[in-house]
Amino acid sequence: MKCQECLEELATGSLRDLQVDSPVMQHCAICPDCGPLATALRDREYTAATVLNSLPPMSNPITIAETAGVISRRRRLGKIAVFATGAALVATVWTSIFLTATGQRMFNIDGLPNLHTETIALTCLSPDQAGDLIGPYLRENGSLYYVSKSGVRAITIRGSRKELATARQMIGEFEGNDPVACDWNRKFNDMQGALKRAGFGDAATGGGRSADMVPNPVVDPNPVVEPTPVPVPNPANPPNPSRKR
Amino acid sequence: MRRPRFRRARKRDTAQTELVYHDRASYALDAQLASLAAAGDDNAFTSLVTRFHPAVFRWSLIFADDPDEAEDIAQEVFVRVHRQIGDYRSDGPLEGWLYRITRRAAAQLRRTRRRRGRLALTPAARPLRDVYTTDPGGRVDRQRAATVIRELFAGLPRRQREVFDLVDLQGLSPAEAAERMGMKPVTVRAHLFKARKAIRDALLATHPAYGELSR
Repeated sequence: MKCQECLEELATGSLRDLQVDSPVMQHCAICPDCGPLATALRDREYTAATVLNSLPPMSNPITIAETAGVISRRRRLGKIAVFATGAALVATVWTSIFLTATGQRMFNIDGLPNLHTETIALTCLSPDQAGDLIGPYLRENGSLYYVSKSGVRAITIRGSRKELATARQMIGEFEGNDPVACDWNRKFNDMQGALKRAGFGDAATGGGRSADMVPNPVVDPNPVVEPTPVPVPNPANPPNPSRKR
Repeated sequence: MRRPRFRRARKRDTAQTELVYHDRASYALDAQLASLAAAGDDNAFTSLVTRFHPAVFRWSLIFADDPDEAEDIAQEVFVRVHRQIGDYRSDGPLEGWLYRITRRAAAQLRRTRRRRGRLALTPAARPLRDVYTTDPGGRVDRQRAATVIRELFAGLPRRQREVFDLVDLQGLSPAEAAERMGMKPVTVRAHLFKARKAIRDALLATHPAYGELSR
């Protein structure tokens, strides 16, 4: 056996299992380098094993047992206290959620305002007018109405079911109970828009129809040709066929 | 993350049930003490502590940095035993159950101390705790033990420490160590190989031919 092989064996092998007649020990017996090394390794591990295995604990086992009992009971009580505290905390949170208005609002529990969004189409009222009407009835936290800026005749309301019902009722009353005014209003608005498009601007707001309000004649590329009146034949005086010829 | 832990626990249980009891009388005594202690018999618990305290202290030495810390670990182990003795099933040896509690208690104690920053100092730099003893020889023994622990185990990972101690210092076979640690024997052998190499490397480095070995 060479020193290299001996070292490999000593590096990872069990020193307890090395027998006197093993190749490693036979090599160590004659090698001046490996011999002292093997002895040193065995001595170190033997000493360590002896020191650790023979070291008695300082504490008295009876004291250890008594202390263990005391600490164990204290920890058990501590565990119960922690559990009780946790349960009390949960109960408090539960109560605060279900019995106080803040908790109910925070967690949106049934029986409390649950906000919905609804868009109502308008035929007569303008969105701003509708907003003025329903504004005072939207009083819940988070209730709102939105008015389109692009000219869509509709109003979007966010509020509780009760508020939405009131808003619908209000808008319905004002849209349905005055059809004449509503109709006049719509016609006026339509005419005003047509005049604006034709280039008259605000002149139409003066009211009435005068000569200076007559728009420039617009040439229609596809004019509608009115049919020529056809004479109704009189059965008493039939047309003369010879004449027609 | 949970699944491997569960598998490991099952593996451990299997290893435990396959254990062969060499000393049936000792096993019966342990089981009897455990059942009495679980029923609330303080005398039985004290007997159990008296019986296993040296072994628990010996195991704790490997997880600790010095004998005083090992005493703390042993105390913590018996606190846990007092609380959990009802969970002990007599189908396995009490010694193996205690060993697992010791491992867990030591690991937890180390984690707690690391969290609190008590281990900021290296074991060598840490001042020795002033433990009162009327036996000067005992004090010397403890200092020697602390030195041995520092020299042998300072740089070793926990598993390698355990394996080296169980096999090379306490004389268990790798299979027995594997049963006790709840590991496969091949894993134990791998840890043992690494531990021995790490421990003996410094001494082997004095050999003239060591350079070729390390290559």
